Amino acid sequence: MNKKKHRKITKDSVTSVLYPLLFGAVIVVLWQTQILHKILGTDTFVLPLPDRIFTIIGDNMGAIMENVKATVIVSLGGLILGSALGYLLGMIAMAFPKWGAGGLTVVSAFNAVPIIAIAPILNNLTKDFSEDANTRSMIAKTLVVTITCTVAMSINAFRGFTELKPFSLDLMKSYAANKATIFFKLRVPNSLPYVFTALRVSVPASIISALVSEYFAEYIIGVGRQIRENIVLAQYATAWAYIVVACAIGIVLYLILLFAEGILLKNRRPRWKSV
Amino acid sequence: MVGMKNTNDMDNSYLNNDMSATGEIGSEITIENLSIQFPDKDGGAPVVALQNVNLEIKPGEFITLVGPSGCGKTTLLRTIADLQQPTTGSVNIRGKSPREIRKEKKFGIVFQNPVLYDWRTVRRNVCMPMELMGIPKKERTARVTKMLELVGLYDFGTKYPHELSGGMQQRVGIARALAIRPEILLMDEPFSALDEFTKEKLHVDLLRIWSKTKKTIIFVTHNISEAVLLSDRVVVLSPHPGRVSAIVDIDLERPRGLEIKDTDKFNALVSKVRNSFEGV
Repeated sequence: MNKKKHRKITKDSVTSVLYPLLFGAVIVVLWQTQILHKILGTDTFVLPLPDRIFTIIGDNMGAIMENVKATVIVSLGGLILGSALGYLLGMIAMAFPKWGAGGLTVVSAFNAVPIIAIAPILNNLTKDFSEDANTRSMIAKTLVVTITCTVAMSINAFRGFTELKPFSLDLMKSYAANKATIFFKLRVPNSLPYVFTALRVSVPASIISALVSEYFAEYIIGVGRQIRENIVLAQYATAWAYIVVACAIGIVLYLILLFAEGILLKNRRPRWKSV
Repeated sequence: MVGMKNTNDMDNSYLNNDMSATGEIGSEITIENLSIQFPDKDGGAPVVALQNVNLEIKPGEFITLVGPSGCGKTTLLRTIADLQQPTTGSVNIRGKSPREIRKEKKFGIVFQNPVLYDWRTVRRNVCMPMELMGIPKKERTARVTKMLELVGLYDFGTKYPHELSGGMQQRVGIARALAIRPEILLMDEPFSALDEFTKEKLHVDLLRIWSKTKKTIIFVTHNISEAVLLSDRVVVLSPHPGRVSAIVDIDLERPRGLEIKDTDKFNALVSKVRNSFEGV
């Protein structure tokens, strides 16, 4: 039986890991041999060669890590705050079902406001929060990410609390379970897969909104801000180095999420595994 | 069905002692002039789900509510379980209201689907209601073991629901309902989603469990043959509005096996029940 399982995993790995890796390798080869430049009609100044980009990353590791730290603090801070707030909103909506679902529709309207619009407004609103420009900027940036992450979590948490298997509420009632018991024994565990659905949206969104909010921040730090600064200065190779780093942050955080999901949802119905 | 072997081979003698040791006395349910109406969603006349139902259920009796869709059989079961409130009339369970009995956690309910929690193993699913009742862990563990042996799933305790077949999941549901030592076992079309082979196996299982535990069982089904095989009495419900159109005594000898279905007496009783429906 183990052998069968092993074969299955190997087949999955080919499609889900090997093919994307091969595709990436082909792009890098086309890029390094400048065939990509010919296709796109550009030159190595605007689109530096991969080896040059990686040399820059290696040479500037100290500065890059400082910016990575600033970006990761903002995106993870906002992700945690936003997800916690979203989960709480989901709970409130569940507790007051009459207007709860409608209320969440209003909350989701926030998602329609572009980050580019929210970021400068929040910069302005938080300008008196601290004497220190770095702290002020961190607060503003984290708030942008928080808003971005709240909506996905609130809607998914609400669904997780309310989309129960048929009769599972009746079962609890038949044992005279009170609301708190129903919440902790049924609704919270039921919401876990929905939390991961939200996080699959929120983790990439938190990094994107952190990068964009850095563009507008008062204090110059962060991977996103470095991309902008270096493009303004026409230092495309350095800008590309930060773009690669930004991608790496996104991939690493998403892999951590998938790993956590794999452990925590290991024993759920197969549909949660196969997503 | 791998787990079934254990059950047939094992010694079930402890069950009699175990169940009687709790000092349970049988239940007695009196339903008087029970009517239930549901408001019409479009503002029209209310839908009459049940009209003027009168029924006496004896302690330790296996009683089946049988009828087509819309006859109110599930509504009647839910009313006994206090999951539905009567519009008029009353349900009295040994001098108490259904709510009091529910609060005392004396009902074991098996639903149309097993309602197992995906995040709990089989053992922890069976354990769940006992956790709510605050039964000590040691006692819980002992009871779970006994109940899983009873339904022939002892070897599957550490599995998760999605690793079991539909029939096995439903047996976990039955074990969970029995684990709290209910006085009344309510079963709402528990086998309707199962294939014929699994269903027959579970019929035999249920008859064995009932003979061991002596619970009062109220069983809802739309399958006449199932009703006759299992019950002491079959309550025939007819639709529009839902009402009791007949109560058929099933005087087949016990213990019953599947072979009883081939007898003339069985078939005569099936015909008698079938001919009792009105307006179908």
